Amino acid sequence: MKYKDYYQTLGVARGATDEEIKKAYRKLARKYHPDVSKEKNAEEKFKEVQEAYEVLKDAEKRAAYDQIGTYQPGQDFRPPPGWEQQFGGGFEDLGGIDLSDLFAGLGGFGRRGGDRHFRMPGQDYEVQVHVSLEDLLRGVELEVPMSGSEMTPEGLRRTSRTVKVRVPKGAADGQRLRVAGKGGAGMDGGPPGDLYLDIHLKPHPLYRVSGHDLFLEVPVAPWEAALGATVEIPTPSGRVSIKVPAGSKAGQKLRVRGKGLPRPHGAEPGDLFGVLQIVTPSVLSEREKALYQQLAQASSFNPRGHFE
Amino acid sequence: MTGPELQALFAEQVEIALEEVARASGFSTAEIVELVELGLFEPVGVAPGEWRFTAQHVVIARRAGRLRADFDLNLSGVMLALTYLARIEELEHELHALRCQLLG
Repeated sequence: MKYKDYYQTLGVARGATDEEIKKAYRKLARKYHPDVSKEKNAEEKFKEVQEAYEVLKDAEKRAAYDQIGTYQPGQDFRPPPGWEQQFGGGFEDLGGIDLSDLFAGLGGFGRRGGDRHFRMPGQDYEVQVHVSLEDLLRGVELEVPMSGSEMTPEGLRRTSRTVKVRVPKGAADGQRLRVAGKGGAGMDGGPPGDLYLDIHLKPHPLYRVSGHDLFLEVPVAPWEAALGATVEIPTPSGRVSIKVPAGSKAGQKLRVRGKGLPRPHGAEPGDLFGVLQIVTPSVLSEREKALYQQLAQASSFNPRGHFE
Repeated sequence: MTGPELQALFAEQVEIALEEVARASGFSTAEIVELVELGLFEPVGVAPGEWRFTAQHVVIARRAGRLRADFDLNLSGVMLALTYLARIEELEHELHALRCQLLG
């Protein structure tokens, strides 16, 4: 079993008072709580903080923890003889579990979310899944990995399994999907928990995605913007021609209706917007240079007229 | 172990009863009723016994439950935190949409 230094996790001394422990926890919770934090690995860090706090805030568990002795974090250890009997762990084999499981199994150590004494429903899982734009276009089959420790009729078990899920066509970035009954198993006939998928879209090299709408940068030459042009652009369902009106400006958006991402239940799909970008050749031929100079002399256009 | 393939449902489509929302979030049914009265979410239906929530509501309720448990908040503190979080998400969403429209 690997040792975890709960005092170090909370940043308090071994002799810290309950009040000091509570304060340290509150401070770290504000920093790492996954619902409010933007920190990297917030969820992981918060779990560690929470685990440490669950043990240290409870006088009995803290005493049990202190009796294990002091080790280096990550160091292998076994609880001293008689420890389990004294604290009622009831573990046959301590090989496959770690310190958090040990405390989770101690004396009805409550799970998050309330008192559940019998017919305990299974735990709900919220899992982030990363999908590509192509996945959203067609729908996709995912193998969702789920691991954690679950209370089973045989006792606490470290479980690791995958659930095969079909994400339907029409899902969007940031959307949540629910798979009923695929969370943790219930106890004593309690219903299984549910699985919630949090859809995260991987960035696409070409399209920026906002809801079901796509934005595509469309580079045009200065003369195309000035004179108007028909240009071909890619869309997820193939290339289309769009008309750039004469006198177009950089940043102007041209809408191609229905060429965005599909919506659920056959609703009208999102739109694709071409965002015009006026680009100039970085190297000019002698002839191009001469023509630009000619244009510069002939034109009375003052792009900064409003500064005067 | 891999089970049969399951169709995930859009969270808005699912109809869920009051008891199940309470079960999933760690609140009592009375507290869920209070959260509805405070305007956290609006189930369909008139009386609490007939209320139908969506899975999206369950996700919000679960978040509320976590905030209450982990920060020792009362219901009005939970509401305040959720209001700000919703406002931040709205702004982030808007920021993202605007970024999508920009060049470069």
